[in-house]
Amino acid sequence: MGISKLLVANRGEIAARVLRTARVKGIKTAVLRHSSEQEGPAHLIADEVVTIEGSTPVAAYLDIAQIVGAAQRIGADAVHPGYGFLSENAAFVAALEQAGITFVGPTSGVIDLMGDKIRARAFVEERGFLVAPSAIEDDDPATFVERARAVGYPLLIKPSAGGGGKGMRIVREDSTLESEIETARREGERYFGDGRLFVERYIERPRHIEVQVMGDGQGNVVHFWERECSIQRRFQKIIEETPSPALSAEQRNEICETAAGIARAVNYRGAGTVEFIYARDGSFYFLEMNTRLQVEHPVTEMVTGFDLVAEQLRIAAGEGLSATQADIAQNGHSIELRICAEDATHDFRPAIGDILLLDEPRGEGVRVDSGILDGGKVTTDFDPMLSKLIVHGPDRAEAIARARRAVQNYVVLGVTTNTGYLDAILAHPDFASGDVSTGFLAEQAEVLTAPGEDVSDLLMAVAALSDERLVADVLQIPEMHRKMGGWRN
Amino acid sequence: MRRIFQIDGTETECWLSHDGSRFLLNTPDGEIPCRLDPAGVPGGYVLRARGRVQDVRLAVGPDATFVHMNGRTYAVGRVDPAERLAGRDSGTADDRIVAPMPGVVVSVKAKPGDHVKEGQLLLVIESMKLETSLIAPRDGVVAEMPFATGDSFGLKATLALLAPQEE
Repeated sequence: MGISKLLVANRGEIAARVLRTARVKGIKTAVLRHSSEQEGPAHLIADEVVTIEGSTPVAAYLDIAQIVGAAQRIGADAVHPGYGFLSENAAFVAALEQAGITFVGPTSGVIDLMGDKIRARAFVEERGFLVAPSAIEDDDPATFVERARAVGYPLLIKPSAGGGGKGMRIVREDSTLESEIETARREGERYFGDGRLFVERYIERPRHIEVQVMGDGQGNVVHFWERECSIQRRFQKIIEETPSPALSAEQRNEICETAAGIARAVNYRGAGTVEFIYARDGSFYFLEMNTRLQVEHPVTEMVTGFDLVAEQLRIAAGEGLSATQADIAQNGHSIELRICAEDATHDFRPAIGDILLLDEPRGEGVRVDSGILDGGKVTTDFDPMLSKLIVHGPDRAEAIARARRAVQNYVVLGVTTNTGYLDAILAHPDFASGDVSTGFLAEQAEVLTAPGEDVSDLLMAVAALSDERLVADVLQIPEMHRKMGGWRN
Repeated sequence: MRRIFQIDGTETECWLSHDGSRFLLNTPDGEIPCRLDPAGVPGGYVLRARGRVQDVRLAVGPDATFVHMNGRTYAVGRVDPAERLAGRDSGTADDRIVAPMPGVVVSVKAKPGDHVKEGQLLLVIESMKLETSLIAPRDGVVAEMPFATGDSFGLKATLALLAPQEE
């Protein structure tokens, strides 16, 4: 059945990344662009750019009817959703199916099941996989608070329709339980249009380990090993790596086989990720399954040598998997850093601005999946992630060294980014030894945002000497006046 | 010629001069001979100052100069002291609650004329999908609440104004 023309229903770095593989495979390509949006790398790669409209740019990227209509109009026979936006929206998949267009991803039924955290948990638990102690509001709303209390503290409140850390709250004391439930409900309603909640035991100092799986929808499922994603701020990952420094070979096999088993249980089609909470005693619990390509998929590509987007396109075209489990090995070590427009020293406040100078690192073992161009504008219309820096090295120490060199040479001027903060994480001895948990960034906040050497005078000299008006004024002033000066102390 | 430079929230007033052979940056801590020469890459320069020879990348924005040096990026705000004197407004900083970033008002918890206590919730905003509660910085009377629930606002918009404090 093949794919002759692919519409990428996304933007930024992931659109560019998907388009690159589609081009290599000889597929004609198209990508979306909101009428107010700046030109990005994806628009330069695609054969065709389709303008979409909407009250806000995000609303346009979520407009199912408009995007399906665009795919039909340009004669696309397949749509790749990237991540975020409509990538896990069962109604979008159903609308594409109706229009006779291939969705590069799982069936709408699987998305429906795994997208609802509560149903997904129940499904996984019924099949004998471990989940953390929990209370589900829907089971009996009247007793929800009581049952939440029984889960024990600390506990974690999550919106059942949630994702990406939105609306999640840790509660440590009974006195704040009810007010936190109300806040989480409000946030759930606003972000997901769904205020239903569930509560689960919060595992102290856990790791977040996930497994990349891929299925052909014909009963064949393979895994591409794990990714360690414990470095998170506000429940959002900013550094990911593989292999995980925490796992022994035996544990690695166990967790990866568990993930493949869960994917097999739903006869999974396409790329997916099974996320686990990994406790310090080595036990692990199913967290959720993401039925799409993940932001951090490149680290898996770097160590396995597989192009996961190429695999997705093969499966969507009915060509099946290109490899069996025995063909998929981990070679060396890979780390991904998410370059975000934000101020790490002020609570990760999103930053906006014009990109006045952009010079991205290159070199052996360095890959940059970028969503920005020199001269572009960073606005609050979209997520603050600008690009991803991915490195590969023969071992973890060399990968960290390469990541540090590369992030130090990542020049983005005109908008505040987290490059210095990412470098501080890489330089931390606990990161080097691999002794981290999802609480690491919060615990080490002071160390990680400590000011470096005071170079204020050098910076002021640069700012003064590059200030053309100031320099011109200084050079025109006659000697006599200069001596009299305006300097007051 | 004077400039006020802002680095990490700290302001320093400097005076740049030239003695016929070199530039001198006069800072409150003393005089720094300095020189900046273009290097071969976009925005690339070599800074000579304080006995150091330093590769830098720089970009000059309208209000700030961005500098990449030794693997770190810095923003140096530039203010012309003359312009600041001309443009200064009357309200002091703690009367005004200014939007830290663009966003949308989620709920408004006070109205003009209300007496509020320090720490009392004035309004809840959402920016970049994060909910933030804005509280009264001191005891006082609300003078203005310019935005209603659902309104969008821009960076540095005034979200709440307290009546000036009577001494």
